[in-house]
Amino acid sequence: MKTVDIVERIEGEAKLVCSWKENKISDARIEFLNFRGFEYILQNKPILDSLVYTPRICGICGQAHLKATVEALENIYENVNEALVITNKAKLLREIGLNIEIIDSHIKWFYMFIMPDIAKLSNDIKYNKYEPLKGSLWLNASRVASETIKAIAIIGGQWPHTSYMIPGGVMSDPTLFDLTSMQNYLEQAIIFFENTLGGIDFEEYLAFSNMEDFLKTNGSLIDFKNIAFKNNLEKIGKAYDSHIVLGSSSLFESGKIKIKNISKIDSSKISESSINTFKVNISKKENEYTWSKTALYANEFYETGPLSRALISNRKFIKTIHKEYQDSVFTRVLARMDELAHLLYTTKKLISKVDTSEPSFIKPKYSLNDIETAIGSSFIEASRGSLSHKVEVSKGLIKTYDVITPTVWNLGPGIKDKYGVAQKAIVGLDSISKAEIVLRSFDICSVCTTH
Amino acid sequence: MVDSQDMVKKVFTQKSARIDTNKGEEYYNCLFENAKQRISMLQKQPALKDIDMIDVIESEGINRRDFMKWVSATTATLMLPPMFEPLVAQATELMNRVPVVWIELQDCAGNSEALLRSSAPTVDDLLFDVLSLEFHETLQAAAGHDADRQLEEAVEHFKGKYLLFVEGAIPMANDGKYGTIGASGETFHEHLMRMSKDAAAVVAVGTCATFGGIPAAAPNPTGAVGVMDLVKGKPVVNIPACPANPANMVGVILHFVLTGQIPELDSLLRPKFAFGYRIHDNCERRAHFDAGEFVEEWGDIGAQNNWCLYKVGCKGPMTFNNCSIIRYNEGTNWPVGVGRGCIGCSEPDFWDKYAYERPMANANIKAPTGGVEKTVDEFGLGLLTATTIGIGLHAVASAIAGKKSEQNEEE
Repeated sequence: MKTVDIVERIEGEAKLVCSWKENKISDARIEFLNFRGFEYILQNKPILDSLVYTPRICGICGQAHLKATVEALENIYENVNEALVITNKAKLLREIGLNIEIIDSHIKWFYMFIMPDIAKLSNDIKYNKYEPLKGSLWLNASRVASETIKAIAIIGGQWPHTSYMIPGGVMSDPTLFDLTSMQNYLEQAIIFFENTLGGIDFEEYLAFSNMEDFLKTNGSLIDFKNIAFKNNLEKIGKAYDSHIVLGSSSLFESGKIKIKNISKIDSSKISESSINTFKVNISKKENEYTWSKTALYANEFYETGPLSRALISNRKFIKTIHKEYQDSVFTRVLARMDELAHLLYTTKKLISKVDTSEPSFIKPKYSLNDIETAIGSSFIEASRGSLSHKVEVSKGLIKTYDVITPTVWNLGPGIKDKYGVAQKAIVGLDSISKAEIVLRSFDICSVCTTH
Repeated sequence: MVDSQDMVKKVFTQKSARIDTNKGEEYYNCLFENAKQRISMLQKQPALKDIDMIDVIESEGINRRDFMKWVSATTATLMLPPMFEPLVAQATELMNRVPVVWIELQDCAGNSEALLRSSAPTVDDLLFDVLSLEFHETLQAAAGHDADRQLEEAVEHFKGKYLLFVEGAIPMANDGKYGTIGASGETFHEHLMRMSKDAAAVVAVGTCATFGGIPAAAPNPTGAVGVMDLVKGKPVVNIPACPANPANMVGVILHFVLTGQIPELDSLLRPKFAFGYRIHDNCERRAHFDAGEFVEEWGDIGAQNNWCLYKVGCKGPMTFNNCSIIRYNEGTNWPVGVGRGCIGCSEPDFWDKYAYERPMANANIKAPTGGVEKTVDEFGLGLLTATTIGIGLHAVASAIAGKKSEQNEEE
């Protein structure tokens, strides 16, 4: 009988370590073993330097970190009763940029991470199209993602590591021609959705409300569903089914669900624990096994991400699916791809709302350097879920900077006798390949997690 | 004042920082012959992957003309005269003879992301179908022991032949415990040394792998350093920038396929074809700099009219890179294009030296190659405009433009 099973490189350097008892996983540890120390590096740096540093926490969701930083810095002005005026145009351009990053990430996640693993569960050669680096759909998806991301480059200069936001607005000033080009790039993602991912008319998809509707689709989503159901993926991967959304936008609402009711967030109840986390410059203790911290709300574990967003925003289709299959791998994956459709729809609308005659930037009345001491914080919905930044400044310098990324909520270590969200979803499974898929269903990002 | 101006001038015009875009007929003819021999040798070697570039291109519906356009652009990127275009086209088809192993250390995956967005003809195909990418831990299918085995096999099988691409810095503090990999808990340092031992050359991609990057910013809690600080006794190529431009990554591989050697490097081990001149030399806003038209603050009349960003902190005059020509995301745009200004991300220590809201005009910033401590205003605008480094490239570009129209006529 196996006692321990290790899957290293589950994503980058992340490792999954499972213990076994009577052919079932009795304990699971998700180890994140790469650390850079952003929170230490940010200390004592000039305040605006954070705009260059934090996007580089992650090469996949840098846009989200940029927006979180800008909004945390703007929150400082609010907290000293000098709220800045941000034009609608600047707000739109920021949200559009973030949405496009999530769109890109969702496409890549489905075709480059989840589907290759799911396809391995079946021997049918018709699924060879999902094979990494070679399969026709893998290549096609990578091309579509590259095209879509150009829409950010138009307003952000480049992607990854975009920097075009600054307290007071954005630096870029797109012309109508630029905005049309962005629409065209997004249109390619919509066509991809219609021809390949969903195999169904876009508008028709958006009107879905139940499984029967979903069975009308005829693309990769159905491939996913067929393999998933054959392997009982609608029955595994269940965690606490408690959900949290901290940020809000045109598409997302903030809130939390425990058991059934949606309720408001009280940000003072968010806490971070580092009981099982390595410490800088201190030799490790027996129980410490990862660089990831643990994020809690009112001392409880909550899942964050597209499924949580769909439930809290009351999106009907996913709510029906969730009623039937709860927080399973199937629901989680479907919620993310459903969100892709809604993001495409919303983002196209947002671009059409940009009024090019408005200013992009309104200069703050005074510099952050002139503030004696203050604190600012922000909540953003990034690809993988809720991201929060908190900064304390003093006389032009950053005193402390704290980042809680979505993966910390979902994949952070458990504390005391309680499992973390993904741990809970894995313990009890009977195969390591299923455990791997459950873990992937949360969309791991190891670099973000440890930062 | 005069002394320091002379020093600055020396810094910007010294041999190691200058690129010679016309090395003379004899040089190019000799290189051409060598490349021809190298290519015919590679053609005789069995392909690591049985995929024909031209088939790939045709099956993807890309016409020959689009492919040749890409070849022209790439030849120009490598600073080779148009006579090399047929060889570059052939080398592209032979990229499946050169194995590439890509490892990630203390990174953010940003360079891998950039690579996925490499420039066309659907270079996704070019790279993934034709280039023999033997190992890439994020992109490949295998995880766990399979991934480890795949890596070991690639390194063993292609001993002495593969190009090792490294993304991310190496944490040296606390015995390297800030980054470990695999079941054995090997440190990033050990991993790098083991993987580079049998590589033909090591290519450090991104500012983390080259100079330590943001992980090495003060107080550098993990003791991060770059590849060149550790790997000795074999060629190391640095492709800094955050993220590195994929065009330059492809350029280095193509150069290797074409000549069997790494490209000519500057004193910081950067390929001269990409880092031989400054952002400023080829910037689209350069005319406004020369005319003294500056953005004074974001959103002002200057910003609305795309004037020069030097006074709001653009580090273009201090930064050696080709982004002003190649741009990012398949040429879609670049930071200066949206009015942000260059942050100098391909220069050593950019994270501590050049960071954001420190317009050069009122900060003490050292020149990139060190040694000169003068505020930039004292550099003098006249001096900055005096350099002519970029002109050679324009000559190459226009030569290609001519070549292209010839082709069009033939068709």
